[in-house]
Amino acid sequence: MTTPIQPNDILVKAEALRNGLSTGFRDEIVKSLYTEAESIARRAVKAASDKKYDFDQKVDRLVTSPLTGLPIMLLLLGLIIWLTVEGANVASDAIATVLFTLGDWGRALFESINAPWWITGLLWDGVYRGLAWVIAVMLPPMAIFFPAFTFMEDLGYLPRVAFNLDWMFKKAGAHGKQSLTMAMGFGCNAAGVVATRVIDSPRERLIAILTNNFVPCNGRFPTLIMLATVFVAASFPPALTSFIAAGTVVGVVLIGVGFTFLMSWLLSRTVLKGEASAFTLELPPYRRPNISRILYTSLIDRTIFVLWRAMQTAAPAGALIWILANVPLGDSNLAAAIASWLNPFGLLLGLDGVIILSYIIAIPANEIVVPTMMMMYMGAGMMVDGPSTNEAIRSLLVNGHGWTMLTAINLMLFALLHNPCGTTIITIYKETKSIKWAALSVVITLGTAFLVTFLTATVARLLGWV
Amino acid sequence: MNLMYWTILVIALALVILLPRVGLLALFKNWRATHEREQMEDALKHLIDREQSGRHASPESLGGTLDLSRAKVTRLIEAMETQGLIESRGAELHLTAAGERWALHVVRAHRLWERYLADEARMPLGQIHNEAHRREHNLTDAQLDALDAALGHPTRDPHGDFIPTREGALPKAEGMPLTAWQTDRPARIVHLEDEPAIAFEQILAAGLRLGQTIRILERTPQRLILSDGENEYRLAPTVAANVSVAALPESELLKREAVPLVELAHDQRAEIVVLDEAVQGFTRRRFLDLGLTPGTLIYPELQNFFGDPRAYRVRGTLIALRKDQAAQIWVKPV
Repeated sequence: MTTPIQPNDILVKAEALRNGLSTGFRDEIVKSLYTEAESIARRAVKAASDKKYDFDQKVDRLVTSPLTGLPIMLLLLGLIIWLTVEGANVASDAIATVLFTLGDWGRALFESINAPWWITGLLWDGVYRGLAWVIAVMLPPMAIFFPAFTFMEDLGYLPRVAFNLDWMFKKAGAHGKQSLTMAMGFGCNAAGVVATRVIDSPRERLIAILTNNFVPCNGRFPTLIMLATVFVAASFPPALTSFIAAGTVVGVVLIGVGFTFLMSWLLSRTVLKGEASAFTLELPPYRRPNISRILYTSLIDRTIFVLWRAMQTAAPAGALIWILANVPLGDSNLAAAIASWLNPFGLLLGLDGVIILSYIIAIPANEIVVPTMMMMYMGAGMMVDGPSTNEAIRSLLVNGHGWTMLTAINLMLFALLHNPCGTTIITIYKETKSIKWAALSVVITLGTAFLVTFLTATVARLLGWV
Repeated sequence: MNLMYWTILVIALALVILLPRVGLLALFKNWRATHEREQMEDALKHLIDREQSGRHASPESLGGTLDLSRAKVTRLIEAMETQGLIESRGAELHLTAAGERWALHVVRAHRLWERYLADEARMPLGQIHNEAHRREHNLTDAQLDALDAALGHPTRDPHGDFIPTREGALPKAEGMPLTAWQTDRPARIVHLEDEPAIAFEQILAAGLRLGQTIRILERTPQRLILSDGENEYRLAPTVAANVSVAALPESELLKREAVPLVELAHDQRAEIVVLDEAVQGFTRRRFLDLGLTPGTLIYPELQNFFGDPRAYRVRGTLIALRKDQAAQIWVKPV
């Protein structure tokens, strides 16, 4: 009778055999696997014709040639963003109307049963309003952007974009596929961070994660558009207004892209030096998009996933915002007191205390920064939309709260460069499994935002522009 | 009021300085201990380096390598002698058994890190030494074992030097004396014998070094004439017997008949001959996963408008590779 083999014996045996292996044995294993697979494929697969292959080649020439490749790319990205911004406006208004009406009913119900005023306020004007606001502004753009983006992905077009742009990313020490995660970032930075899974090289993936926030997401676009229209474009003749506003937003986006490259370059040469790295990019054949799969991935995996995370952070933030606005302190409230305490720091950056406080308490989602700001400027007890016309917004901010052109421009820069929203930070943590990288993503963005706004403010003041 | 204010300030200050573990004083002590240990490890590495090349370290050579003043070197040597790591014999410094064990541990850490940085992080060879030097301290044997396993138990570092095993053994270099090697067959120098020292000095003076690829051009009873393709070297046979050589790795031989993939013209069909030895780790695994195995048909199909990267058709799929990677795949046009 033989004694059974112990697991440890196998390890010892393997250890002994390992020393006798040639260095290329892994290559040999893979080679034999491929040989076997090829012989099976030869027996089982019949290629009908080369028509599909020729068509793919023609399309590839078109989308990667210098003359047509770049215009096609910019056109498609522009089209998706335009569709998102335009389409979302209508849907957001509709959802907001429904949700806020429901909120009013809930409020009325609580009042009718004589619930204490602060319970009604905290629950309906704080938590519920925060949730409703986030859903109303986040859901429509994501529900349009993600399917459109996933459509391009399913078509097989996106890897060609990475292929076209890789030379730029290579110079910054990054991967061409980062262009895709950046494009995804226009939809939502948290989704952009998740999308970095397509980058199989650890170092380049970390670069893409840590710099994704320099691309303004859907939540920040309305802020940028509002500021560009109300402040920058207003100083030009009316005929040019929309053109100037669009140009300003594009300019801000380009600054963000510039910072992405700069930061990628810096990261790959400092903190991320020595992380594992490799580059390969598969260009799959073009496929007919599968609509039901597109809707599933974009709506369930991306939209609902991001929205759910945002709602988890929006609810407590809504409560906090309400508390700050409704706890009286002296003849004002807690929010105003903190804002005036933060004011010197805000002014140093060319902003003000209210803006800084809004960014602190509205960390769960960029969408609620402006409503929180407006709440404080207008002395309201809950998040509100600003005045309805551009002139009224201008007069509220400029005459009422001392805004200048510098405040508007620096707020745009701050909106572009500041720390990732709570949802994105959580996502970075979940994707990297590391508090260190999540913290670093905050440090580099916030550091850049402080530095840049401080410099522009100082320069503008020294030159006597404000 | 004023008194209380100052008392609180003084207590706070005292806490910041004196708090165990996180206080400034503790941090400083910790930093100094780490610094001292790293300096000792660097000294051990210098000693074992010298011993392996057949010479012995002296206080002067140590001071030169570590860039330390005379007084500091003396203090360092005293500290290491007290710990039983080294012994001075006259002007020479010798490693004790304990010192050698520790030195080999550091060498192992250094070379494994170099392997990691070259293979996984694809850092340029010129940069890996400094980065590995920064990382070689503070690793336990168990952590080194994990690194070793993760790298697939490499036997040599990217410079061709052997990596010590956990037990501290340096594998014996294979190879045969140069005098026994065939004329005109390319060979790689795998070992330079350091005893007797006089022969070793002559080998070094001739300009031969470890890892060099050479060929014997001419052989007479008086001397051997070698070439590395650029320079010629002359050695007396008695000296040449102290140089061990081995056959080039198979991949080096295969490369002679092939061209790098990056030089292939558009649509020029070719067969993969071999992946460069320099491609290891993560990148090699990716290449193999994508089916870039020897014998596979490949051709460039799509050019980026700036020339880099280029997409190649392999087994019916289109794979984009950057220039630096395509330069490491050797192919034969068909």
